[in-house]
Amino acid sequence: MDRETRRQLERYRQDEAGPFESTFIDDVIAGEFDRRELLRRASILGLSVPMVGILLRAAGEPAAAFGATARAAASSSRLRLAIIPPPTGAIEPLTFEDQGGLETGGICGEFLTRATPSKTLLPELAVSWKPNANATVWTFKLRPNVKFHTGQAMTSADVVATWKALASPGSQALSAIGSYLAPAGVVAVDDLTVAFHLNSSVSNFPYLTSSDTYQAIILPANYKMGTFTSTPQTTGAFMITAYNPGVGATYQRFPGWWGGTAPLAGVDVTYYSAAAAADAALLGGQVDLIGQIQLATDRSLFNNSNVQIFKARGATHREMCMRVDVNNPLHDYRVRQAIALTLDRPAIIKQLFNNLADIGNDSPFAPVYGLARSVPQRKKNIPKAKQLMAAAGHAKGFAITLTTETTGEIPELAQIVKQSVKAIGINMTLAIESATAYFAGTSTGPPKGWGNTPWLNADLNITDWGSRPVPNVFLVAALSTLSKSGAGVWNAAHYSNPKFNSDVKSFLAAASFKDQNKYAIAMQQLLLHDTPVVFPYFYYYLAAGSKSVKGYVADPLGQIYLSKTSLA
Amino acid sequence: MARFLLKRFALAIITLFMVSVIVFMVAQLLPGNIGRNVLGGFATQQSVNEYNHALGVDRPVYVQYASWISKFVQGNLGSSLEYKVPLWPLLRPSLVNSLELAAVAFVLVVPLSILGGVLAALRRGRVADRVITLTGLSLTAVPEFVSAIILILVFGLLFKVLPVNANAPPGSGFFTHIRYLLLPAMALTMVLFGYIARMARAGTIEALDADYTRTAFLKGIPTRTVIWRHVLRNSLLPTIAVIATQMGYLIGGLVVIEKVFNYNGIGQRIYTAASNKDFTMLESGVLVIAIVYLTAMLIADILYSVLNPRIRHAGAQ
Repeated sequence: MDRETRRQLERYRQDEAGPFESTFIDDVIAGEFDRRELLRRASILGLSVPMVGILLRAAGEPAAAFGATARAAASSSRLRLAIIPPPTGAIEPLTFEDQGGLETGGICGEFLTRATPSKTLLPELAVSWKPNANATVWTFKLRPNVKFHTGQAMTSADVVATWKALASPGSQALSAIGSYLAPAGVVAVDDLTVAFHLNSSVSNFPYLTSSDTYQAIILPANYKMGTFTSTPQTTGAFMITAYNPGVGATYQRFPGWWGGTAPLAGVDVTYYSAAAAADAALLGGQVDLIGQIQLATDRSLFNNSNVQIFKARGATHREMCMRVDVNNPLHDYRVRQAIALTLDRPAIIKQLFNNLADIGNDSPFAPVYGLARSVPQRKKNIPKAKQLMAAAGHAKGFAITLTTETTGEIPELAQIVKQSVKAIGINMTLAIESATAYFAGTSTGPPKGWGNTPWLNADLNITDWGSRPVPNVFLVAALSTLSKSGAGVWNAAHYSNPKFNSDVKSFLAAASFKDQNKYAIAMQQLLLHDTPVVFPYFYYYLAAGSKSVKGYVADPLGQIYLSKTSLA
Repeated sequence: MARFLLKRFALAIITLFMVSVIVFMVAQLLPGNIGRNVLGGFATQQSVNEYNHALGVDRPVYVQYASWISKFVQGNLGSSLEYKVPLWPLLRPSLVNSLELAAVAFVLVVPLSILGGVLAALRRGRVADRVITLTGLSLTAVPEFVSAIILILVFGLLFKVLPVNANAPPGSGFFTHIRYLLLPAMALTMVLFGYIARMARAGTIEALDADYTRTAFLKGIPTRTVIWRHVLRNSLLPTIAVIATQMGYLIGGLVVIEKVFNYNGIGQRIYTAASNKDFTMLESGVLVIAIVYLTAMLIADILYSVLNPRIRHAGAQ
């Protein structure tokens, strides 16, 4: 590092940096990050462009090519978009919980920040953000001159109203933010500044304000529930002008968008309940883009010269949850380990995804996070699995039912698991239900706190999970002990380990990569030992389009961001 | 005639009443709490109870039925539990779409099948008869989604002459609508051709063998006149009954076809409602289909009685 860079870093430490920024600078100087990770972490802390340039110099990396991505000129073209499946309920951001709903809302909605496929955070309706000394207060500066589609200007009052609703009972965003944020914690500092006072330290909180928390579309303070599709009132490049439940939606370019003029004049969405019909429409030239495809259901689109496949590596995955609190063999961690050891994961991702997936190591630390990579990968080992079964007193095996849903490749995965566990004497029966039936019922309350819905109460189940740029939701909602703060609400294994809970808390508060990795390794090892959940793989998010689609980038969570997309 | 019609009408009303009771009871048997389904897992039990109370689903079943059916007959179908919007604006376009598709399919399949059936009967035992009968049987034996996919592959993807999805773009003209409906209508034609043609063939053969036809021929009336005036009028009676019974299928039973061609028909609406526990949509949708179906049956009965005075008189006695 040259003397000038060192001088600039020291001045920044003295004048502006808090403990989090200082620790980050130490990590950069120590060479902890590659270029991508450096940019990602700088974006979490909301560092300015010049500061990121200095840090890149300090790390010996070439300067970043910042600046607006080239965008095609405005045209009269309209994009014909297929969304599979249709939204399952009313289009109401606060209660989004399905793919069709978040895609429909995300086309016209915007967030404080936007998580990119490379996991870098981009400013959207916020232009900068900064933590206090222990990351319990995050202050966001809002973008000036932003207008809602109604014409009214966006101020901190709108952001505060939106976020208070997100942190209140009835909000589906509670699974992501409920553990850290109460409605009273959202405070307007001035017209264009909002502060989030958290219950505990969260070093990656800005991610939770991004498109990752898909319910967090900023709405006017006077927004009335139930009017999202009848009145255009978001801030995005496109405004929703027509919506026919289960059939489609229409969007027009918003001339008052703060980002300029979008290349497309509009978007026409058609909902499909069958992938084959959407595929035929793309191949037949009736749609330009399909928001989400899978190898298992859309094979006709792969290796087709008329189709381009958009890929986003992320943390989308399936969890095979084994109830730890039941009076059957799954109660014993050795049995759970044995089941996990029967799976030939490389063969599974080859068969189900043609290798468009990363292998899972039975923790939510997907390879894309770059955490806990030093822990050895769990591999198929039948002799060891048999030993564990014998030690647990089940040398001859047992019978059990695996309950799951007809989503994507999950039925095929269930069949693979059934065949795999035969090797250790387990006779598995499959109960494969529709997604509606699988998620039906209550998910809170008696008998054990997770209501009576199959997905949270079946002894053994497989559930689909979307990607997140940080693993907070997986760690807190899916693996932590159930608590009133919102932790453990999606803990289908009913797993409870005080050491794990403590590590989660430390991980979330950790400022340095070294500390985060230390706690991630500890959690990874605990999960490999206890094995409440099998994470067989993390597959890539895929979309498909005709060759005429330009400037589209797939998002690991499935958001469809079209402000830079055009048609040739 | 008026008495016959009144009797048919009264029967239709009774049938509708029974359908309404059955569909309401079946909907009640579906598992799940409406309030919990709509408000989601994170809603408090109190708000779930309040929602159920506001909706009236915490009342006795017979009270709920009486409330629903009395509103239905006044034209108030209620609101969708899933989408939280009034039902009729959702059901109406779906019903219109289904009627459009049924009409196009009807226009294709009825003349084609009757022509095929009559031709086969007139060429009984000859090559034309064999070809028509075997082709019809083969097409009927192929499931509709298979024939639909074959049509899509050939006309939509290989030659690219017809659209593979059936929903025409908003604002399209009449002929564009017809063009978009051609592939699903062709798939339905393939399914129904064999059945209707077979009925028309059997009816025509029976009429050709009848005494009055022989008498007409013996009187020296030209063949074309005999067939047109004496044979067809009698041979088509069972065919009309068959066509009428297919109307319910054509309007409300095309879930598979609607799915394959991504068509917003009422069958798909009701299927989705059943899958997503949208009870109000399910109940009202089924009843709307029943009304359309019974209306079609009533029209068929009238046509039948016009063509066959014996039915008219028997019904009146």
